[in-house]
Amino acid sequence: MKTAHELRPGNVIMLDGSPWVVQKTETTRSGRNAAIVKLKLKNLLQDSTTETTFKGEDKMEDIILDRLDCTYSYYADPMYVFMDAEYNQYDVEAENLGDAAAYIVDGMEENCQVTFYEGKAISVELPTSVVREVTYTEPAARGDTSGKVMKPATITGGGTVTVAEFVKIGDKIEIDTRTGEFKKRV
Amino acid sequence: MVNSPASDNTTTANHWDIFCVVVDNYGDIGVTWRLAKQLVDEYQITVNLWVDDLHSFSHILPQLNPYNVRQYFFGVNIIQWNKDSIIDFTPGEVLVEAFACELPSSIINQLVTLKQTNPSQVPLWINLEYLSAEDWVEGCHALPSLQATGLKKYFYFPGFTPKTGGLICEANLLQQRDSWQHNPQHKLALFAQLGINHIKAEDYVMSLFSYETDSIGVLIDYFVQKTKTSHILVPQGKSLASIAKHLSCSVEELIKQRHFQLNNVHIHVLPMTDQHGYDRLLWSCDFNIVRGEDSFLRAQWAGKPFIWHIYPQEDDYHLIKLRAFMKIYCDNLAPEIANEWAELNLAFNQDDLTKVAEHWQSIDFQYLPLLKHAKKWPIDALNGADLASRLVRFVKNS
Repeated sequence: MKTAHELRPGNVIMLDGSPWVVQKTETTRSGRNAAIVKLKLKNLLQDSTTETTFKGEDKMEDIILDRLDCTYSYYADPMYVFMDAEYNQYDVEAENLGDAAAYIVDGMEENCQVTFYEGKAISVELPTSVVREVTYTEPAARGDTSGKVMKPATITGGGTVTVAEFVKIGDKIEIDTRTGEFKKRV
Repeated sequence: MVNSPASDNTTTANHWDIFCVVVDNYGDIGVTWRLAKQLVDEYQITVNLWVDDLHSFSHILPQLNPYNVRQYFFGVNIIQWNKDSIIDFTPGEVLVEAFACELPSSIINQLVTLKQTNPSQVPLWINLEYLSAEDWVEGCHALPSLQATGLKKYFYFPGFTPKTGGLICEANLLQQRDSWQHNPQHKLALFAQLGINHIKAEDYVMSLFSYETDSIGVLIDYFVQKTKTSHILVPQGKSLASIAKHLSCSVEELIKQRHFQLNNVHIHVLPMTDQHGYDRLLWSCDFNIVRGEDSFLRAQWAGKPFIWHIYPQEDDYHLIKLRAFMKIYCDNLAPEIANEWAELNLAFNQDDLTKVAEHWQSIDFQYLPLLKHAKKWPIDALNGADLASRLVRFVKNS
């Protein structure tokens, strides 16, 4: 079982008798510190998608499907192509990557886990954290070094991350792929 | 008010059940009690309000007997419950769990059985969430939550925009307020009723219902230096501890004496009042300091300037919620006044005493434009439909 708060793109959960792949997660905070998790899910039997909301502590059955360690190879619109250690290639629909697509870039070395359902590659899970270079961000306004003042930054691949104000263009930053949050400058 | 034993109405097929767990004294129960009354008054819906803590509830409904598990007030069936007790529950048309309170497993099991045997009779299950002005609320409002049991629950988010669940506001509330505020004798009569006879119509009057904060002391010091007579009216609650600290006395002493005077400043400790009385208190003051969710909203309907002492959250997340509200509230306010008011609220919530003093002085000088804005704000905030009407429409369309 996993809580809604622990889910991340690529996980497959069982709801109402159907397997659903998590395409996107968005965690926010309601009153009194309670987490609210909004999920975009794809039904693997019906090929339909839905948006749904859970309390952060809601528990759900995650399905352990076949997985393979792979590395990203290339993008052939609309498929991301991954390759295992034996040079077998697997196509994953861009839509199924959800938020994870923002961290997939040419030449990335991190191992990803490709998940299979009935022999078909259906999703990809990234490592918990990845390191990416900041390609654009505004200069710090007042030289804040506390890490509490935040600003948007564009990273390699075109994704946007909210970073501490002291982060500069060219810095490499660690990002939590589950939440999309900036962790630290490396 | 009709007060007769809870009747067979509790088991009508189209009744609504609202479940509430009291977390602090007046917030959760304040919101659900207002909603229940409004659904009965304006939509003639039979409502069962399930409350775990009748003692807290009795503070805002003095007629309530905390030891009676089933009672009937203002057309609402009030039923005491707790998670571990056996609950005699008959599913109706709608089941509202307020603020994500956890329903007893026996009720969930009942719903699961009903889904298997008679799915059309499963009530629409709604989680009524906390009020927030943050952008993400629009994207989460009214989304289903697919439960592992096969049941479906909907997240209903109150909010300040047309794409959210709206705000609790009774149909004739603003007209009642206008009528009340039109005649200064109304407020003087209310103050006299509260045991305060020496407030003059031209005196400055502020109500104070906050969490504990040293910022209160800063405001008292400010009023002490002014020549105009000021009155601070304090309903019993956490603000008293801060006042006691500032006056170097005990809370018990405050409650016993009820009235303290420092130069031209009078501090009055008020007896507990019901929601109707609290609304009138807010309408009667020049400025209100409020907290949490229920009093925060009622202060907006009062059409008077206010400070929101927001419920503190981990990692200062409450400041994000405060900023989100201030952004919406200040949208049509002159930037220099908006900035001062926002900075005052931030300083008050962060116990930044120097800034509280600085920005309070500025706001004091800008009172009239702030008042004008506060008067206009409820119409903007409601966006043509209050929470109850949107909720009833949501149920009809689901």
